[in-house]
Amino acid sequence: MNEWMKKSPVEWQDYIYKQVKVTASEKKEYKGWVLTTDPVSASIVLVNFLEDSSLSVTGVMGHAIQTVETLSDGDHSVREKLMHLFTSGDCQVHSSEDLAKRKSSLKRWLEKNHIPVTEQGESQTICVAQVLTIEPPYGPENCISSNEIILSRVQDLIQGHLAASQ
Amino acid sequence: MLLKPGPPMQAPGSIPIPVPVLRLPRGPDGYSRGFAPDGRRALAKPAGPDTQACGESQEQRARAVLRERFLRSLLAMGGRQVSFTLHEGVHVTACFGATDLDVANFYVSQLQTPIGVQAEALLRCSDMIAYTFKP
Repeated sequence: MNEWMKKSPVEWQDYIYKQVKVTASEKKEYKGWVLTTDPVSASIVLVNFLEDSSLSVTGVMGHAIQTVETLSDGDHSVREKLMHLFTSGDCQVHSSEDLAKRKSSLKRWLEKNHIPVTEQGESQTICVAQVLTIEPPYGPENCISSNEIILSRVQDLIQGHLAASQ
Repeated sequence: MLLKPGPPMQAPGSIPIPVPVLRLPRGPDGYSRGFAPDGRRALAKPAGPDTQACGESQEQRARAVLRERFLRSLLAMGGRQVSFTLHEGVHVTACFGATDLDVANFYVSQLQTPIGVQAEALLRCSDMIAYTFKP
């Protein structure tokens, strides 16, 4: 087990948005901005901005990583670009009224489908059967659950709701 | 009278309509691999939102953030052409399909190897140094 794999999640988190040089097995070197490190396999995911304004994403497997050297701290623009990468499909901003409307409409839809729904205190999260949470803006990709069967069923229901409301 | 008194008959039209029931499968026990022993999901019993927030340590929160970002990056890789750098200077390209939860294997299709194209294949992640794709 190498040094990188022994680090704690909090230490890995400190590398997010920084530009690093990763030295891997067989003298391979990879440079890029850190998107994340998988806490299970310790694989690091780097993003590079290419000249034609496209992106290139490189993952270096945790077991192959020898050293990770910080080259520079990420500035605001990099942070901004990486923050929304791969997250919710549309980056459109929802007003709080719009979100409240979406939330109540989705709640009603789930209740109509006999799904037990609760709200988690002051937070905007909808909780389903104590095992799944739906975060704003309440799309299929905003569902979080460790049970893939429930996840897929509820995602299908939300998809149906979106299709019905359009 | 030929008719005997029977159970009260319902007027046609008032027959109760069966209610559609969606049965949710049982949740995970929280002890299988992939669960932190002191994680929020490991409790798997209803608790107040306050106790949940306290039980979630800073480390667990960091893990969740890192893992979610990683899983979303894998999701973005689905169906795309990915180039893999393996040991001994071997480079192959393939269409990424899926991976298992401890990232031990990558399931790929149309694997282009030096000796031909393999329609479906599993790549061992321990054989791999790095992978690159364009989102």
